[in-house]
Amino acid sequence: MKAPDNPVLVIGAGPAGLQAAKDVAEFGVPVLLVERRKELGGAPIRWSYHTLAPDFRPTEEVMGPLIDFCQSNKNVTVMKGCIVDGYSGRPGDFHVRIKDETTKNITEKVVSSIIVATGFEHFDARVDPRYGYGRMPNVIGINELEIMLKQGRVVGHDGKPPKRVAFIFCVGSRDRSTNPWCCTVCCGVSIKQGIEVKQLLPDSQVYMIYMDIRTIGLWEKLYWESMEKYGINFIRGRVGEVYYTGEKLLVKGEDTLVRGPFEVLFDMVVLAVGIEPGPGTKQAAGALSLSLNEYGFLAPKIPNVHFDSGKEGIFLAGACVAPMSVEEALSEGSAAAMQAVKLGSRLMQKVPV
Amino acid sequence: MSEEEKKRKEKESSAGEEKGKFIIERRYVDDSRIIEPKKLELGGIDMSGRWGTLVLPRTLEDFDTEIYRDVEKLPRGGNIGKCWQCGNCTAVCPVAHAHSEFNPRYLIHIVKMGYTSEIKKHHEAVYLCSGCGLCSAACPKGVDPQGVMIAMSIAFKAHESELTE
Amino acid sequence: MADGGVVQLGKDEELELGKEDAKLLETLSSQRKAKFAFGTTEDYLKMLERMKELEKKGEIIVHHVTDDYDPVGVRTLSGRVKKIPTRETWQHKSCGQCGHIPGYISAFYWIMSELGVSYVDDTNQTSCTAWNYYGSGTSNPVALSAVFLRNMHAAYERNAYPLIHCGTSYGDYKECRYLVVMNRDIRERVRAILKKVDRELVIPEELVHYSEWLHVMRQEVAARRKFDMSGVKVAVHAACHTYKLMAEDYTYDENILGGRRPAPTSSIALALGSQLLDYSNWYDCCGFGFRHILTEREIARSFAYFRKIRPIVRETHADVLITHDTGCVTTLDKSQVVPLAQGYRETIPVISDSQFAALAMGAHPFIVCQLQWHIADWKPLLAKMGIDWQAAYEEYKSYLDKVKGGMKPAFIRSPPRHLQPRPHTKAFRVDEPVMS
Repeated sequence: MKAPDNPVLVIGAGPAGLQAAKDVAEFGVPVLLVERRKELGGAPIRWSYHTLAPDFRPTEEVMGPLIDFCQSNKNVTVMKGCIVDGYSGRPGDFHVRIKDETTKNITEKVVSSIIVATGFEHFDARVDPRYGYGRMPNVIGINELEIMLKQGRVVGHDGKPPKRVAFIFCVGSRDRSTNPWCCTVCCGVSIKQGIEVKQLLPDSQVYMIYMDIRTIGLWEKLYWESMEKYGINFIRGRVGEVYYTGEKLLVKGEDTLVRGPFEVLFDMVVLAVGIEPGPGTKQAAGALSLSLNEYGFLAPKIPNVHFDSGKEGIFLAGACVAPMSVEEALSEGSAAAMQAVKLGSRLMQKVPV
Repeated sequence: MSEEEKKRKEKESSAGEEKGKFIIERRYVDDSRIIEPKKLELGGIDMSGRWGTLVLPRTLEDFDTEIYRDVEKLPRGGNIGKCWQCGNCTAVCPVAHAHSEFNPRYLIHIVKMGYTSEIKKHHEAVYLCSGCGLCSAACPKGVDPQGVMIAMSIAFKAHESELTE
Repeated sequence: MADGGVVQLGKDEELELGKEDAKLLETLSSQRKAKFAFGTTEDYLKMLERMKELEKKGEIIVHHVTDDYDPVGVRTLSGRVKKIPTRETWQHKSCGQCGHIPGYISAFYWIMSELGVSYVDDTNQTSCTAWNYYGSGTSNPVALSAVFLRNMHAAYERNAYPLIHCGTSYGDYKECRYLVVMNRDIRERVRAILKKVDRELVIPEELVHYSEWLHVMRQEVAARRKFDMSGVKVAVHAACHTYKLMAEDYTYDENILGGRRPAPTSSIALALGSQLLDYSNWYDCCGFGFRHILTEREIARSFAYFRKIRPIVRETHADVLITHDTGCVTTLDKSQVVPLAQGYRETIPVISDSQFAALAMGAHPFIVCQLQWHIADWKPLLAKMGIDWQAAYEEYKSYLDKVKGGMKPAFIRSPPRHLQPRPHTKAFRVDEPVMS
């Protein structure tokens, strides 16, 4: 059997990847953490998430300890600005090529197993032109509102706080012409943000224009509170067009409960942009010969068991498998870590096969 | 069909003929949207009659929450904001089985959103409530629709002039 | 009958459309509809390829936009470059145009004459019969296609390139061309009909709307501008049937409204130096809506006012609304009478792009552009353009008096043609009356 002290390779340093690295390292097994970007933390840090649903916990409280651990623990070797370019070998003795994206230098490493946690991208709302994103002022994505909330200053392009804000749900989700899946988190995140807008601007009116509300599990509390405590309004229906009048945004849609079209002026429109697989996931799938499903997410061997890539020694975790929340991604990272450690132990014949 | 029913039917149909009777697909248009001046003139030319009719659009143009705020302040109206339009109230409502105009869920929605044009059309239906209270027992959010109906009737009365203009 | 199979054309062949034909149309339209959100551009490009193949095989004659027509390339929504002929065009007139807005067509002919561009105003043209396109008034795809190709052949034998004035004809022809090219069954049936009227199957390489002609000629038009248009605020309404039927075939230009809206008509307003203004209901129908104008006049009239005219006036404060289809000018203009009588004061003159361009070029507002037939008040527009409309009106009155006194009415004629007709069928007749 091959040397058991080969490190576990973790690709991606978001919630799932960091949690996986931490758990593996705490078993005393060395970890090689490869991150394509220059900073650790993944989506929550990259897009400066202000707080996390469902209980408004500052992102740093969740992500900070994970980042600190991986940066300081002697078992974790971090390679930033790098991608995994290819591999050969077998479980316990994978030879991986790691490419520095700036210098284009290639380093060869021997690892015992691989955890893929390449995360997601927010849907680019310019792809669905009806909302005018990228063309009209004051039409922003939830990712951009999150940055404003973090700065404690929600304003339009004229520097004035909006009086009437519309959130449009399912932008780039549940739509054949863009992405047909549900992003699972944008209902909860939008409602969380609506509450934060109301806390910051109590005189503002906030409207949620939705198809279905999917605040799954305990996130439902957000939905109830937003209505009952903060007076946020919910309009069931879709938006056909957003038009900038030169001053305000005319939102044209249907209230399906009234069965009639509405045309109402808003000061700000926030698009609940969905989750889609990013280029990192596609690149990793190519480098590791992993299969993608019809939507471009990494396909586990069976959909119910996310961590099992179907290839021995390669495990999957987080939003590269399916859209998910930070809380789910953390658990998935932990689960993948367990698989990697378990494999290492088996290879050392500590655990009977 | 009894004689009485026949008479009532005749009366109804002739009443329906009063406004926009010549509109070919008349049943698609609400009474309240038809503007039909008895006398119409332009530049000394008489334009009265069927060619002078206009039909207002049905677009919902704004949220006017004044009545909603009033309902919230009235006794038993305070929980209207909790409604999430599940329809439990209408599902158990005995009156809704008899009158298509009486739909507690819908009345709550148009008041909560402040769709004045819809309130104008439907506000009188609130008095059809029998006050049985089944809705309040069925409501999963504790809205107390029966109480909200009472609060609404008071608010509608207070805003009567603008709702019937 | 199998889809795509050749129809045996025997002696006792019936051209009446039965159940099977209806089924065929249903299949075709549902196939198109199924692809509508995803594949129209692909389908359309495939159709153009197929047209080339059929020409090669000798199944059809393609009427090419040759250099004789002095074509100008424009980009379409599909990204493809479309050739717009600029001279020797065959004027495919619009049914409602001549009756409702006579100045529409006379202004257009006037512009062409002013520019020295020859054209053919053929009396041997029929209606496209696509009136009430989305109602119940149309016949069936075979008959529609046969009428389409009959007119296209009439243009071909005059050796002039068809330029279609009516938005509906233009849209209908694009769809018919798709059916004829892509479906052998319809093609063979149409061929049989054409044979009976001694015509051949000639399909134009490009189907061209007159607004596209004005678009490519806009610099020539602007060069002959007589009035300063910089103070004139213009709103544009694009006709649904020009840019929503086979949308990928209409002209777009990234320099005109960012390429997000069709280029023609907006482009002529910009080229003439006027201020082009946008409004929120830009994509909405004018209210004509075909079935609505027939069965729900009150709705059509009210929609035109409350959902188009009033928002346009409120949002843009424009001096004029210009558009490029008969139905649109008629509906948007005529629908302002009743609101005005009822006391709705917001009003805006509605004219065609050809009338607008001709006015700017110095055409007579009444003898050529015939604004006297328009309802909404055009006087402030003319005043703003610097046209002395009172003097022009006096001229017009004395002109009318002279006509009453026996003077021959003014007539706009095409400059001399360069191309010879190709009278190779029995159906061909010369326009000039035969001496008896």
